[in-house]
Amino acid sequence: MAQLVQLIGVQHNPALHRRFQQPEPSGPARAARDRFADMGRQLAAARPDVLLVVANDHLNQWFMDNMPPFLLGKAPQAQGPFAHERREFGLPAYRAPGDPATARALVEASYDHGLDVAWSDEYTLDHAFVVPLTYLRPAADLPIIPFFSNVMAPPLPPARRFYAVGEALRAAIAALPARLRVAVVASGHLSVEIGGPRVMRAAPDPAFDERAVELIGRGDVDGLLALATWERMQQAGNLTAAFLNFVLLVGLAGGQPATEADAVPLDTSTTPFFSWTLHGETAP
Amino acid sequence: MSRYQVDKVLRETVLDADALARFAAGPAAYLVGRDLSAEERRALMEHDYGALYALGAHPFLLWGWAARVWALRGGDKEQFRDRYAAAVRPHGYPDYAT
Repeated sequence: MAQLVQLIGVQHNPALHRRFQQPEPSGPARAARDRFADMGRQLAAARPDVLLVVANDHLNQWFMDNMPPFLLGKAPQAQGPFAHERREFGLPAYRAPGDPATARALVEASYDHGLDVAWSDEYTLDHAFVVPLTYLRPAADLPIIPFFSNVMAPPLPPARRFYAVGEALRAAIAALPARLRVAVVASGHLSVEIGGPRVMRAAPDPAFDERAVELIGRGDVDGLLALATWERMQQAGNLTAAFLNFVLLVGLAGGQPATEADAVPLDTSTTPFFSWTLHGETAP
Repeated sequence: MSRYQVDKVLRETVLDADALARFAAGPAAYLVGRDLSAEERRALMEHDYGALYALGAHPFLLWGWAARVWALRGGDKEQFRDRYAAAVRPHGYPDYAT
């Protein structure tokens, strides 16, 4: 009986925060900051009761000693980022409530819909969560259910699994017993390289970025799965697999075309903005 | 090959400023008892991020570690990116799966 009301996809480069905090950001940085604000307004207009946030931990807490492909958080609090991320990137703290009852029901409903998701009652939200939340929901007043994916440590599940996990979550949300309005934020990347020869340069593969935005815009699932292979993503940039979080989001949308799909080219990477306003349910 | 053990050292010292300080003060002592190859141990001790990259250290961890050690030794932040890119470029894109 729960309703999926709004889906949003944005990126999580931790350097964005300092860029956006400059007194007079101009050009692309200003355009990107304004688009984050637009997405925040769409989220508010959807009047969600709870926010599911799909993002990837950066080997901060889920590591190669015990790596879950997909993990749902059902703790009573949702806070972050890590101390070293605050120091390194100047990120603010983000503290919001969790929603243990809904999270537990979502785990149970996921099992009924073919998704054997791992879960945890204790975690920290790293910058992949905190950067989008800081700009989409600065009030930190919505209960957060984090959904962690592994896009960092190969072997990763392939794109078709990320899509299927999105579909399973969509069915599981619809099956929740409570009458809730559920919104989703997915935090990922287009082409990106960190710690390789193209580190911190402009978007390493603009052709990948353009194609990805186009495919998501028109809901071309087959095209998206063909694009998001490990080999093609590695060619685009060594950590481009964070794009898989957007593939999961398209699964949550049931493969529908996005309501909005565009991107702002920054000098570090192309910053995408995806949104789906579902069922016209945002009217009061 | 003990790529996982290298990643473990990189991660510890990125996450924990005290661990990083201990590592920087005495890398050999910090690595005692670790299941590392001689080349991995040497590269960690000598801050040879190019060699660690070639050995398949995780690039995200390696970048964070190399930058922190560089800064701790008083290196110029602006220079770091170019030096890092030059050190890893000859090695292309090694497999970093464990």
